[in-house]
Amino acid sequence: MATDTGSRFDGDDLRIGLGLDDPRRLGRGALGVVGFVLLWYAASLTQPAYVLPSPVAVADAFAEELASGTMTTALWSSVRHWIPGTFVGTTLGVAAGVAFSWSGLLDDVTAPLVRTLRPVPPLALIGFAIAWFGINDAGAAFIIAVGAFWINYYASYGAVEGVSEDLLDVGRTLGVRGGLDMVRSIVLPASLPGILTGVRTGLGRCWMLVVASEIFGVPGVGREILRASNNLLVDTVIAYILVLSLMYLLVDVAFRAVQQRVLAWQA
Amino acid sequence: MAGVNRSPGSESESGDGPDDAGVAVDRVGKTYDDGGSPVRALDDVSFDVEPGEFVCVVGPSGCGKTTLFRIIAGLTDATDGEIRLAGAPVTGPTTDMGVVFQEYHLFPWLTVAENVGFGLERSDRSEAERERRVEEMLDLVGLTEFRDSYPKSLSGGMKQRVAIARSLAVDPELLLMDEPFGAVDAQTREMLQRELLDVWASTGKTVLFVTHDVAEAVTLADRIVVMAADPGRVAEIVDVDVSRPRERGDPAFGEHVARVRELIGAMP
Repeated sequence: MATDTGSRFDGDDLRIGLGLDDPRRLGRGALGVVGFVLLWYAASLTQPAYVLPSPVAVADAFAEELASGTMTTALWSSVRHWIPGTFVGTTLGVAAGVAFSWSGLLDDVTAPLVRTLRPVPPLALIGFAIAWFGINDAGAAFIIAVGAFWINYYASYGAVEGVSEDLLDVGRTLGVRGGLDMVRSIVLPASLPGILTGVRTGLGRCWMLVVASEIFGVPGVGREILRASNNLLVDTVIAYILVLSLMYLLVDVAFRAVQQRVLAWQA
Repeated sequence: MAGVNRSPGSESESGDGPDDAGVAVDRVGKTYDDGGSPVRALDDVSFDVEPGEFVCVVGPSGCGKTTLFRIIAGLTDATDGEIRLAGAPVTGPTTDMGVVFQEYHLFPWLTVAENVGFGLERSDRSEAERERRVEEMLDLVGLTEFRDSYPKSLSGGMKQRVAIARSLAVDPELLLMDEPFGAVDAQTREMLQRELLDVWASTGKTVLFVTHDVAEAVTLADRIVVMAADPGRVAEIVDVDVSRPRERGDPAFGEHVARVRELIGAMP
């Protein structure tokens, strides 16, 4: 598409992504974290461990789960749900959003279906996940894919709707003929910022859905959280929540760096 | 009295437009009818533009200038009449016309050079030919050193130069412009006007230029089509008999401006 401004990722992208480019902001952020942990510690002294475990107990639980290998196994298992679920849901969501928004005919045909299906929470589809895929990785990935689909569908639909009619006119006067050429050469690049915002939101939401998708017995981080909850092991619950947060942070920082690189043309 | 005035419509009675690169606007009418009472935006608009000629269309706001521009560009259908380019009826957008809009409408995700080359990608030219053409156009508008910049980093005047280069790259017969300098400051506007005249002189293109700025029209045009409103129609066609390069201080220039303003009625 654009002249190659270089696919090289230098340290700057990562530093900006992490917010390390502004030391003052970083310092304040660190202050917030330390303050929160201290408050948490103070509060935990007044409560039994099954209501609010102390940060120290959580760190211990974290170390224990990590050392026993349970954590890495669970995380690997969840990643195997997250990657295909996110990938399939995002791809189909973007494709459907762009196609239905661009084509008046497809939009008319699908609008009632979309409005009917949209309010169905992914969790309500667990029965289908089990019936169609079984209690396995594919079933969990299916739940995640449904969540990713809708976020990306609406973001892409809106982004294509927002493409300026004037740019399409310019394209027509410059020889763009036919819908496919128009979509490829103008509609997609013009709506890319909105589409990528949807993808980024979806990547985060899919980590949340990992917990839900493992509720019916598929192993993973979500399963560990549910198991620990049932045993009132709140420190272990928090340890695994931290795992999800860290994964989210990692993916979000990486994606944001890609996003800034791809959208370098933006004002 | 400045200028020889032709009565509107008389030229196209014969029905055949000029053969090469000329434009015939032939009894064009446009009625907007969206449920309420129909609005007649244009009525019986006729004039010709000779090959290589520079014609400006001026008129008060609401006289249908932009509607006429869109109809000539093939972006809007006329209710009556037709547009002919080099004798052939215009039925839709065509790369035989280079169209320049007021708000530039550059593709923000493409660099300057890629914007200029956009139309060429759809032509049957070889890649080497396309690249040569892009360089030629960038040179023409003096933006060679900005070839790899994105539009966000350009000033309004530079953006409009890119838009002009982009529309000229496919080598159209006609350059069709809708208030192209309306969004830039006065100094930049005068500079762009001079540059456009240079481009016109060096390429020999036919130019049809819509503006509400009478002084701009007198600066640029061989002839000025003066429009009136309600419904939009041709009030008069004024020949601009002022030698080029034109100076605003020249009495003949002032007479033409006064004459056109009088035809339009009260206008800044």
